[in-house]
Amino acid sequence: MKKIKALKCKECGQESPPIAKHVCEFCFGPLEVVYDYEWISSVISKEKIASRPHNLWRYWELLPVEGQQVLSLNEGFTPFWKSRNLGKFLGLKNLYIKNDAVNPTFSFKDRVVSVALTRSRELGFDVVACASTGNLAGAVAAYGAVGCFKTFVFIPADLEMGKVVGAGVYDPIIVGIKGNYDEVNRLCAEVADIFHWAFVNVNIRPYYAEGSKTLGFEVAEQLGWRAPDHVVVPVASGSLLTKIYKGMSEFHQLGLIPELHTKISAAQAQGCAPVVTAIKEHSEIIKPVIPKTIAKSIAIGNPADGYYAVKTVEKTHGVGEWATDEEIIEGIRLLAKTEGVFTETAGGTTIAVLKKLKESGKIASDETVVAFITGNGFKTQESVQDHISKPYIIEPRLNEFRELYESLVKSKQVEEHNFLKNPAYQIK
Amino acid sequence: MKQAIDLIFPKNLIQDPIIYQMSKEVPVVFNIRRAKVTEKVGEIVLELEGSENELNAAKKWLENRGIKVEPITHDTLEG
Repeated sequence: MKKIKALKCKECGQESPPIAKHVCEFCFGPLEVVYDYEWISSVISKEKIASRPHNLWRYWELLPVEGQQVLSLNEGFTPFWKSRNLGKFLGLKNLYIKNDAVNPTFSFKDRVVSVALTRSRELGFDVVACASTGNLAGAVAAYGAVGCFKTFVFIPADLEMGKVVGAGVYDPIIVGIKGNYDEVNRLCAEVADIFHWAFVNVNIRPYYAEGSKTLGFEVAEQLGWRAPDHVVVPVASGSLLTKIYKGMSEFHQLGLIPELHTKISAAQAQGCAPVVTAIKEHSEIIKPVIPKTIAKSIAIGNPADGYYAVKTVEKTHGVGEWATDEEIIEGIRLLAKTEGVFTETAGGTTIAVLKKLKESGKIASDETVVAFITGNGFKTQESVQDHISKPYIIEPRLNEFRELYESLVKSKQVEEHNFLKNPAYQIK
Repeated sequence: MKQAIDLIFPKNLIQDPIIYQMSKEVPVVFNIRRAKVTEKVGEIVLELEGSENELNAAKKWLENRGIKVEPITHDTLEG
């Protein structure tokens, strides 16, 4: 029984065989996997899913692979909880946090890469590649190593050392490209065209992108098999946002959740917000921009799925909002102080936008809201290092500490430290 | 050889017959495969046919006129 029926063009609807291909030969539109939903609905059930291990392969029937031999490092089924403090602080009674920063390589990219490399192996590839500025590089390097693929990772030559280490430790071949953002992109597109490799975010993209659906599945399952009222999703290429919605739609279509009314809202950094700009301007065309923001993991100037992200936001009556770099840093600190989660700049963007949407009344206080945290803060420490608590340096003598403590008490810093109780931080 | 490219027209060039002018100056065969144009921005997927040098010359000519020329995959780089 084959559950993948075909690849189908999202623009013209033309179908083609499910091979390694990402654009329609007829109209150059993007391709998407078509499943045999009749078969899936005859075999899938809540009980079956719930009985399986806690990783994303519990949704095997809805993922674009044919075999049971999957390449997994136990990604997915990440922590999900009702906010302990952030909801109270923002005035949201039913705020939930989905923490995808604790995947095997510390970002949601493990989901898409686990699916992409499993499918790549099924399609007969022994070389995998990607072009990345951080999170994807680490994930492809790790899964490539474990799956015994030859692995090529293309990065801009001036990428921060921390991110190079995060991929390099898994021993892939790393190619640093000297050039600006457009030149890096162009070269990678050419390499993907000429070398017959599994380029996860190019020719494997239709399969790769499907991995993000599992975030939608998990949130619905972890909420007790129901859809939230509103979700806030960081947007880079736009794929994650559209696939979270697709995941929830599939659950609804298969009767695994009773109804679907979720508003999907998009969060971008102001310095790279082509999707949010299009939403705000009610435009169908995504104007490419040159990224200029600290939120590098979501800084995609010409997003491949931008158009579909805009359509999803509009269709679900969500909104688009951006955050400045300062607001993003504040978002990172806020999530750390309220929920104990140290996220990277993409998560900071989500939290900053969540706050803005609440303040502007676009999210109501009693809505069930989910904030997606997609990457780990330890990867981008440089973005917050100048904005956080620094140690007070003293000699190893009790009276030095006593003096310090007294000065802190005097300047009220000890009480103010518990910022949730500090009136200055309360939202009016 | 044949190659498809994505052209982004800024607002000030939308009303100019750019592709016609390009074909007058560079000997390539063109075929418009997809287009979306509003009053603010235009996007055209253009298929070009010619030798490698001719294709490069056509792309260069378009870029010099202020058109953004992109590979058809959009961004290949991800975070």
